[in-house]
Amino acid sequence: MADTAVSRQGRRVFFRQGTVLKVAVLVILIALIVLPLLRTVLFTLHPDTIQAWADVLSGRLSTNLFYKPLGNTLLIGVVVATGCVLLGGFLAWLVVMTDVPFRKTIGVMATLPFMIPSFAAALAWGALFRNDRVGGQVGWLQGMGLDIPDWLAWGMVPTLIVLTLHYFSLAFTIIAAALATVNSDLVEAAQIAGAKGRRILMGIILPVTTPALVAAGSLCFAGAVSNFATPALLGLPVRMQTLSTRLFGMIEVGQVGRGYVIGILLVLISAAFLWAGNRIVSGRRSYATITGKGGRAKRFDLRGARWPLFAIAMVILLASTVVPVAVLTASSLAPSSANLFSDWTLHYWIGQSNPSFAQGIPGIAYNQDIVRALTITLGLGLAVAFTGMFVGLLASYTTARYRAGWMSAAITQISFLPLLVPGIAFGAAYIAYLGAPIGPFPALYGTFALLVIAATAYLLPFSVQTGRAVIQQVGGELEESARITGAGFARRLAAITVPLAIRGLAAGGILIFVKIVRDLSLVVLLFTPTMPVLSVVAYRYASEGFAQFANAITVVILFISIAATLIASRLQTKSQPWLQN
Amino acid sequence: MLDIRNLTKRFGSFEAVTNVSISAPDGAFLVLLGPSGCGKTTLLRMLAGLELPSAGQIVFDGQTVSDGDRDWSVDPAKRNSGLVFQSYALWPHMSVRGNVEWPLKVMSMPKADRAARVREVLELLDIAPLADRYPNEISGGQQQRVAIARTIAPKPSVLLFDEPLSNLDAKLRVEMRTELMRLHRATGATTVYVTHDQIEAMTMATHVAVMNEGRVQQFGPPADLVDHPATAFVATFVGTPPKNVVPVVRNGAGYRVGGRHMTLSAPADHCLAMFRAENMTLSDREGGMTLPMELVETTAIAGRTMVTGLRDGLRLTAIVDRAPTARIGDTVQFRLPPEPDSWFGPDGERIG
Repeated sequence: MADTAVSRQGRRVFFRQGTVLKVAVLVILIALIVLPLLRTVLFTLHPDTIQAWADVLSGRLSTNLFYKPLGNTLLIGVVVATGCVLLGGFLAWLVVMTDVPFRKTIGVMATLPFMIPSFAAALAWGALFRNDRVGGQVGWLQGMGLDIPDWLAWGMVPTLIVLTLHYFSLAFTIIAAALATVNSDLVEAAQIAGAKGRRILMGIILPVTTPALVAAGSLCFAGAVSNFATPALLGLPVRMQTLSTRLFGMIEVGQVGRGYVIGILLVLISAAFLWAGNRIVSGRRSYATITGKGGRAKRFDLRGARWPLFAIAMVILLASTVVPVAVLTASSLAPSSANLFSDWTLHYWIGQSNPSFAQGIPGIAYNQDIVRALTITLGLGLAVAFTGMFVGLLASYTTARYRAGWMSAAITQISFLPLLVPGIAFGAAYIAYLGAPIGPFPALYGTFALLVIAATAYLLPFSVQTGRAVIQQVGGELEESARITGAGFARRLAAITVPLAIRGLAAGGILIFVKIVRDLSLVVLLFTPTMPVLSVVAYRYASEGFAQFANAITVVILFISIAATLIASRLQTKSQPWLQN
Repeated sequence: MLDIRNLTKRFGSFEAVTNVSISAPDGAFLVLLGPSGCGKTTLLRMLAGLELPSAGQIVFDGQTVSDGDRDWSVDPAKRNSGLVFQSYALWPHMSVRGNVEWPLKVMSMPKADRAARVREVLELLDIAPLADRYPNEISGGQQQRVAIARTIAPKPSVLLFDEPLSNLDAKLRVEMRTELMRLHRATGATTVYVTHDQIEAMTMATHVAVMNEGRVQQFGPPADLVDHPATAFVATFVGTPPKNVVPVVRNGAGYRVGGRHMTLSAPADHCLAMFRAENMTLSDREGGMTLPMELVETTAIAGRTMVTGLRDGLRLTAIVDRAPTARIGDTVQFRLPPEPDSWFGPDGERIG
């Protein structure tokens, strides 16, 4: 047959499928993530600033600048990671494998501490345990007449306790998910083989869940070493420095080069541990347990230990959820934290300016700065929820649809890169990146745009993950079958993709909103008086001694976070009408 | 007329489809048959326009719709073809009626015509009473019917099916097979059907392309594949029961056949002999043409018995009139006919 007529409606395919999309996404990700990090590194290598490396690593000041904070940081990382795996593992075991009373309640409560910002817990600790060492108000226990020693009021010990009580719920979530995949058949097979309790735990359950334990440990480590709020509030007043507070201090006093060097070293440390954790886990064969038949036939019978173990679990959970929230609320009402539960007043909430009260600072409802910070924070949360879900969806769609090729691999790798970068270092990188004009673009320092761009980039691992879940719900053949009918991109989006994905997208957006509203470490360096956000305002009030205002603002943040989280989880669990059986 | 010319598809360095040329007349029922991973679904997706070929052309009714050599492709929607997905891909948020109607809406068919056409195809597929249900409220077999109704509603001239029956239970599968053949007669659309089930291929197809490792092993009507298999792969993959293929190696004056020395005349020193199951018999005693095998299966089939033996990885199947008295695990003697039905070279290609 001779050359057949080339169809009227055909068109030339200039690029391989998806190339344009992949290039676009890659460019966005490089601009958002790679360039800021690269620019920070290049800044420190500049002839004017390269001296900073020597100052930090080997100079006369290096002990105070770097090595002491490094020691503190590593101590915090190791102790908190260990504590989190123990606490989280214990609770996960109770909830998933045993017949402890109120298992469901314990399971829900164990996920809550991670929703409470870590500076809230640190502020609550102060309201309870503060002593008179650094002046200002004393905490409730001191006010009750107890003599709180310095080691319990300030520095390392409270930092370790507060961080452990914050991050253990991360470990709980990971370990519980892993334990839930240990099919009851596995345990029953071991029982039939004649193994008893301890033998089953050591021989079956532990080996199967080791990857989850390692993953939980390394994530808690990375979280703890990069945490800024807790060591800053509890450690800085007694000059205990970690790498993240050092980085903050250097940039605050204008020693930017040294600050960036410390930031780079902090990234390397946290990345090294995450990488090592990943290495240990992926080096071994994975025990993909077969799913399918659900239901745990038999739970481990705790017998007499049921109630005592329940009591221990509740003490941990109450100390990490109810107590801080109650203390913060009470403290925002009490004129003196020494008398948390008496003379309550609403002044810190709705009082007008009164020179005899808190140096004339009005209650937060009438305080222009705070109201402005609230508006900006909510606006930032909404903006980042949109931009984050947009970029996240675009990136996950691209990698799901066109899996092959180095560009897709690069997109995946780059989008998860911010996980390795502590928030405060990421903030510093963005100052280096957009703080000064680039070509025709003006400097963005102090603008809303800078906050939105930096937060979008910082939360990208999270939004890509959410986007991926949404794509899995919708993707593949459902979309292809719409394509075959001839519906254009916009029409497919409106009739098929969005109706199917809208709840997932909304839930993901809300969670991003929550993350940014309660974030302190990223925005603490990007903050300017013209562009205030709530968490930083709270931190400033706390460090200036106005604990009540700080606590009242924190209660507001908590309220917004919890309300939004509840809406999101409702959206996620509420089944869609067409899915009901 | 459906014409596939020298079609090749590469994913990176992996070649999923290699130099496939097939041509089927209008109204044909073409089945792409092969084991999983043989490239049959990739070929189907190229026909649908979801993948662009790396080389070669696809021509529907004299119109080139894909040209890998010139990077040319007609949009999936403009090829006048319809695809039924393996997972059905019903839109979960639309009712049965909505699913069938939406493609017509996209075509901007007037409302009255649309309603009439939807009613017509729902009745054709016997699912009119389910029109207002959602996909999760109907059974798997009914979902399958909805997927087919949705695909045929715009009256495509080429219908594509990707393993459509693999998610159904055995009884439903037989029913749907008949249903699909009735539908094929009713619509007259050229149909391309992908499956790994050779019984489906043999019962439904007018043309079968047997594929393995990206290549077409043999293309022709079903009876041809059974009567004249072109390769050893086709011989062992097609037919119930499949044919026996025994390695033959020269051994002095005679040949070593499946581990025993026999005197027969082979066309080459190394080759494969094919024996049809119906030409094999069982013997009580060892003889010149017998092979001792461990009895592993006996099945009653339409008044006769299918007997399978296994030894050193060689599997032989015979159809005999009377069931053997030996029990599973005993040794039985399989007697080969004096002349094999076909010879294949060591590469699996037919000799003579």
